[in-house]
Amino acid sequence: MKVLVVGGGISGLFIAYELAKRGVRDVTVVEERYVGAGSTGRCATGIRASFTSEEHVVLMRESIKLWKEYSSGDLGRYGLQFIQGGYVWLARKEETVDLFKKLVSLHNSLGVPTRIIDRDELKNLVPQLNTDLIAAAMFDPTAGKSYVFTTLFALFRACRELGVKIVTGVGVRKLVARGSRIVEAVTDVGTMSADVFVIAAGSGSRELLKTVGIEVPLKNMPRHVLVTEAFQRAFDPLVIDWDTPGVPYIVQTVEGNFFVGREIEEEPEQSIYSQRIDFIPKALKPIAQLFPFLRRVRVLRYWIGYYVTTPDNHPIYGPFEEYENLYVATGFSGHGYMMGPVTGKIMAEWILDGKPSIPQAERLRPERFKRGQLIKEFAVVG
Amino acid sequence: MGGEVVDEKRKHPVIICRCNDITLEDVERAIEQGCRDLECLRKTLRIGMGPCQGRTCIPLLMRILARRLGKRVDELPLPVVRAPIIPVPIDLFLRSVEEGDGG
Repeated sequence: MKVLVVGGGISGLFIAYELAKRGVRDVTVVEERYVGAGSTGRCATGIRASFTSEEHVVLMRESIKLWKEYSSGDLGRYGLQFIQGGYVWLARKEETVDLFKKLVSLHNSLGVPTRIIDRDELKNLVPQLNTDLIAAAMFDPTAGKSYVFTTLFALFRACRELGVKIVTGVGVRKLVARGSRIVEAVTDVGTMSADVFVIAAGSGSRELLKTVGIEVPLKNMPRHVLVTEAFQRAFDPLVIDWDTPGVPYIVQTVEGNFFVGREIEEEPEQSIYSQRIDFIPKALKPIAQLFPFLRRVRVLRYWIGYYVTTPDNHPIYGPFEEYENLYVATGFSGHGYMMGPVTGKIMAEWILDGKPSIPQAERLRPERFKRGQLIKEFAVVG
Repeated sequence: MGGEVVDEKRKHPVIICRCNDITLEDVERAIEQGCRDLECLRKTLRIGMGPCQGRTCIPLLMRILARRLGKRVDELPLPVVRAPIIPVPIDLFLRSVEEGDGG
């Protein structure tokens, strides 16, 4: 079987890795720029299972198992690290604590051991935090982080070792269908044929699928993150300021820099090279309230990456009804990096077994939008 | 003799990126392993991502890469320049909006 994966980000590489590990001999990944050049290389690297829908919680529970397994296996030997520092969700208001309690029971019922922690425990986990502003917090001890470029580099080497061909600097411009099959991909440098085509092209997926008459409801939403200079290790968890609009967060990377992000008003499809320097103080104001030491820290730079979002903020996984050999994995709505390992597993199962081993993944097929079977969130996020 | 030369090199490595302690040897190894552009070198070595934001290392890196690829320096695509260009204290950003709030 010959498989062509379009997109050399985290999803495309994990899909290729999984297929090759399961014995597919002829796998090619084609990437328009360089590995991780799209949303993957721009992400804030957090990994968590504390979500608000059954689908996300179960998929991420499985993904975290794989992150751990891979970091101590072959990918770990090439440098992939998963640091299980947890996630802390701060409640500034008392009523948010009640919402967190409901989320904790959802997580616990699905095997994710989140719990409510009081200010004393919070102070132990994040000593620099000004806990006077906080009522309580929800702690997800299974969550963590993984530096994106070491992960990509490890995957790149492991894929190459397994015989996967990775072609960079070549864009796929259109797909060509004959009857109910996709027969080739037209690229900048000629055509590529395959038995199976997998679209994992992030923000480029929607336009590429249109070339064979498929409409997927994807929007590319610009999201911002800034990075500070590096310091010695301060605290391990990623901290989320849930009660502030735009849900700001802070995380310290393995290298010691702090990433700070916050959702600000943006238009879909706005260029990722547009200048929005107003983002910097907007993101930092609530975070510096929580972490007063930050006032003395310097900002190095900020950048923009797309959240490729679907109407229900869940990914699109699986085959299309219209074609027998076309699969898609995109629309992660900001969670593609953390879902990478489970994406590889599920997509390899769709392709090789005809059905994923995780039943919740079947609900994420592209047809759900046409049928109005959108995924329901337990709690609607801001 | 040969051994002495290697030791001499290790005692005095040529530093290309002072922010992240990246040597000429590191850069050449990355090029040998397949990096063919500045983005790849930046992302595998974290060169240009420190407090200097590439002002010291990127011109050096471009000359090394151009020589290795047999190209002119001006033929290489430059990495994107990102605000705020030089490291700016968070306090300064916050005071700008706090004063704005007051007025």
